[in-house]
Amino acid sequence: MNTNIEIKDEIKKIFFAVFQNMNEQEFSWEKQQKDFKNWDSFAQLNLITLVEAKFDISFSLDEATEIKSANELFECIKSHLT
Amino acid sequence: MNIINYLENNSKKYPEKNAIIFENEKISYKQLYNRVQNFSITISELNKEVISLISENSISFIISYLGIIKSGHIVHIVPPEISETNLDNQIKSANSELIICSENVFNNISKYSKIKTQILKFSEIKSPSKIDKISLKENPIAHLIFTSGTTSIPKGVGISHTMLEFTTKNIVNVLGHTSSDIDILPLPLYHSFGLGCVYTSITVGSTIILHKDASNLQNLLNSIKKFKATTFAAIPATLTKFIKFENSDLKNNFSNIRLIITNSTSIPKNTIQTFREILVNGNLATYYGLTEASRSTFMIFQEDSSRDNSVGRPAPGVSIKIDDNSNNEILIKGKNVISKYWKNENADKNIIDEWLRTGDTGFLDNENYLFLKVRKDDIINIGGEKVIPMEVEEIVKQIPEVIDVAAFGIENEIFGQVIKLHVIKSKESNLDKSKILIHCIKNLEKFKIPNKIEFVEKIPKTSYGKVKRFMLK
Repeated sequence: MNTNIEIKDEIKKIFFAVFQNMNEQEFSWEKQQKDFKNWDSFAQLNLITLVEAKFDISFSLDEATEIKSANELFECIKSHLT
Repeated sequence: MNIINYLENNSKKYPEKNAIIFENEKISYKQLYNRVQNFSITISELNKEVISLISENSISFIISYLGIIKSGHIVHIVPPEISETNLDNQIKSANSELIICSENVFNNISKYSKIKTQILKFSEIKSPSKIDKISLKENPIAHLIFTSGTTSIPKGVGISHTMLEFTTKNIVNVLGHTSSDIDILPLPLYHSFGLGCVYTSITVGSTIILHKDASNLQNLLNSIKKFKATTFAAIPATLTKFIKFENSDLKNNFSNIRLIITNSTSIPKNTIQTFREILVNGNLATYYGLTEASRSTFMIFQEDSSRDNSVGRPAPGVSIKIDDNSNNEILIKGKNVISKYWKNENADKNIIDEWLRTGDTGFLDNENYLFLKVRKDDIINIGGEKVIPMEVEEIVKQIPEVIDVAAFGIENEIFGQVIKLHVIKSKESNLDKSKILIHCIKNLEKFKIPNKIEFVEKIPKTSYGKVKRFMLK
């Protein structure tokens, strides 16, 4: 699972798993944390936990707290996989 | 009256009746009393105050236990699998001057270099050369058990004859035990659940069908059928294993059973429901208690399943209250409660005005049914949100590939604590961590989602099946 498309596909699935009531139109790669309805600190923790489990990687505390969008999450995952 | 008085009475009332059947051995009430009498005379010559008893289940265990009591000594009951360090600590704290044990245990502990106490095997306790009427002293304490339970520091708990008689009478009256009962007992006798069953049987004069353990389910079923057993004592995990058998087979085997007694470790709903169906002529019952406050509640599961999560109402003569100022801690008062710990002033602070602070939390409903939540120390605090580990465990157990799971709190820089899971998955299963997390996200609030998951081979538990979370943190 190394191509950008595959990674992005998994990230989207993770977002829809964590934000269960979100519909397709409410998701975008650039959308910021503050613009999500329920992206609070617990949702952040769950996103990071699920990504770590799915990609078998481990984020540092700084990385885990600084991610504010799906795009930033994608970049961070890519940096761990390369 | 203490247990010896009941035994003596029943040896006169039912001299030839089987008191205990164990594998190929059986012993009548008259024989049991005589052997206890002989044992006590031999022991009394040794002039020791506390005697440690270490053995697997056997008739010799019961004779030795009763013999030590009859001689006026205190029985220090020790689990056979105890480590050298723990045994050494217990022996020192109990001030025990003699160890009596089975052959198997002797082979282990005789190698322990730290243990300097005299050790005698059962076979080395000889009958007295002459049986004189000797005046044996009485000791208010019957036995001493060191309980770590689900907390980390073992505490000595001295159980008096008064407490035991009070508790046994409650068991007999609430659960309807009589001399007609045939009691299947596969529980370890070195724990208060198993030992309490022995007290009950000897008090009413019923027959104990003793098993070494509960590992062989088919053996237990054969025994239930062969002896036309009327009662069966087992921990919830044993009962849950039974539900894999065909219902019709179980119904057939359990047709004569009037009572299955289990203990307060959370019983899966499915297990309760299955046994409700299987026990055509009987009931499933549970209780809540600690070594320090044995059988404080009783619960008989009836048709109405709305209180299946409850451990029942306080036993007769026992009071229970909830301390709202201490995370809803359960407090117990009654003649089943110790007045103090064994030489442990620090632990004595848990007993205030005869109320024992249990460390467990829960609530009472409007009809005084007690519902357990969790040990105070086990509540996971995630950024101020309190999580009860069992709630997470129950959800994870819904995943078919999960055999067992333990949830506990681990330190986290941001939230203070987060949840970690230890999961035992079935062999050859492809279960991965993300599947567990997604199942949790679908079924739990977001602050209850585990942050770390580790697949393990074993989860440390007490003999009663309670998770020893302190060993995981």
